[in-house]
Amino acid sequence: MATTAQTIIVGNVLRADIRGFVIASRIPEPDVPTFGTFVSAPIQQGRAAVIGLVHNISLQDDPFLRNLAVTVTPGDPRSEEIIKDQRENRVIPVEIEVASVGYRLNGRSAYVYGFPPQPPMVLSSITVCDNDAIRKVTASPDFLRTLLDNLDVPTDELIPAALLRAAQLRPKAERGDFLLSAGRYLAHYLGRDPLRLERILTRIDQD
Amino acid sequence: MLQIERIRKDIISLGHQAAQDRQIHRKALILAQIWLDEAAEADQLRAHVAPLLDDNSAEAVRWQGGIPCSPGKINHHHPTEDVPLADLVLIGVDGSQIYPDRQALALYYLLQIGALIFRFDGNAPTVHTREWLRYDKADLYDDRGYLIDGETLGMERMVKEMEVLADLAERERRRATNPIFALSDGPLLWPYVERGNRTSTHFTAYLGALRNVQKAGAIPVGYVDRPGGQPLLDLLWAGQLASEELATRIGENPLKMLSDVELMLEVLPPGAWTPWYTRATATNRRHAEDGQEIWFCYANLGTQRSPAIARIEVPAWAAGQDASMTALQAALRHQGSVLDGYPYVLARAHEEALVTTQDKTSLEQAIQRELFSVGILAQPSNKARQKLLLGLK
Repeated sequence: MATTAQTIIVGNVLRADIRGFVIASRIPEPDVPTFGTFVSAPIQQGRAAVIGLVHNISLQDDPFLRNLAVTVTPGDPRSEEIIKDQRENRVIPVEIEVASVGYRLNGRSAYVYGFPPQPPMVLSSITVCDNDAIRKVTASPDFLRTLLDNLDVPTDELIPAALLRAAQLRPKAERGDFLLSAGRYLAHYLGRDPLRLERILTRIDQD
Repeated sequence: MLQIERIRKDIISLGHQAAQDRQIHRKALILAQIWLDEAAEADQLRAHVAPLLDDNSAEAVRWQGGIPCSPGKINHHHPTEDVPLADLVLIGVDGSQIYPDRQALALYYLLQIGALIFRFDGNAPTVHTREWLRYDKADLYDDRGYLIDGETLGMERMVKEMEVLADLAERERRRATNPIFALSDGPLLWPYVERGNRTSTHFTAYLGALRNVQKAGAIPVGYVDRPGGQPLLDLLWAGQLASEELATRIGENPLKMLSDVELMLEVLPPGAWTPWYTRATATNRRHAEDGQEIWFCYANLGTQRSPAIARIEVPAWAAGQDASMTALQAALRHQGSVLDGYPYVLARAHEEALVTTQDKTSLEQAIQRELFSVGILAQPSNKARQKLLLGLK
């Protein structure tokens, strides 16, 4: 997959709906996005871009790999080249699942939080959001709204991961206020579910 | 749709015949093992079968049995030595193709060669692929004007595989002075009968590529998985005949229902290699004229639970290099240890070479777009489209 100074193309959309999309990727292990990465995909014939958060990454196996899995020993020098070949050379498909959090119309700087009007089309290219885009999309804690309502995604893990990632991109002096503002939003939204609120806040506090 | 009921009797008969064949096979295998254990020394056997190989002799027949090359008893086998593999280079190569198809939207064929360079140095191996798209009439049709067949394409593929091996071996040689083995999936001995100019041209090119592998300081190796043929059994039968019976009874081998592999499964333990043999076929004589006579042996690269008999072919000049052959055996044992005996480099080379259905679809879409851009609306034939709709293709 192509890489530029600003963007990393992760892969192409395999299937999608309003709530999220799945990307098929064949990028090498070091470039695979991590849990909680912000990614972007074009929608509406390129007139807008949906923003989402990576919430699951699954490596697909095949019969060849299954055979090797029982014969190769990690750490054994005799298996070293084979393991590296499988990890670095073989095109093992990776499926990356993304939950939508908002979208932005081209030519406008503000983000709209919530589900996009359309899902991205299949085979659309997905890019990792640059730091500036992440700062902008997380400027308001409203970006958490779709995640809080999404029961199909491990949001109690995803929300802390996304908030901590966004906090790191801000000056040290602003990080506390940023997390405090997000905490207040969560407290308001999850007022009737104090156990869940505590779970999320504890995870943020642990880091 | 197949009406299974109508051939039910034949299916039952097939089962009975298989059971009978199995009994006959068992008896023949026991006899083959006795003959192998009783066989004379290699030099005596060579002298015994010599009249079968002499073109000027009245007794000469077209015999394709194995001729022992290693000294000593032919039932001898030796284990793989545990030698260090560091710095050794193993290059595996394989090929695949899209055959020319009159029903396709354009007449062409494609060859793709895949290779894996495995260096035993702790780093990831290097992948290499090359492809050739042929669409000229001179390439597509033979001398009689017929569309080239699968055999001709197989010859070109075999030449390309060896040429790629020679190129990669030469590049590796520039990097290091390590032993290099150039491994191809299939026989090293040219397997095609010479018929017409095109065969001869391909054979000459193949021998040239073999020479280039040698010039690069590498050893070409042919790996034949589950090989057919019975050159060793033919030798055993020749050993049972008196000299005066050779010419008249050599074709009456009572073990002809067996193959060498079946005998090897009985006698060759995991990790063991047989002595070297050669064959005096017309093709191997041509190899020999070019300094590339091919020798072969059998090896069990599997385990006690899952034996894997392979025929290993190398040029005669390499078979005599004891240290190199010991290294080759250790390298192949390492390679086979992760894939039930089959060399890892060949499995990966095959994967890299494979032209998938998806690849073929992408290629045909690209050809269609290109043709459209020059004003040609190309379509597959109606027959091809109907097959596609019926899921038959």
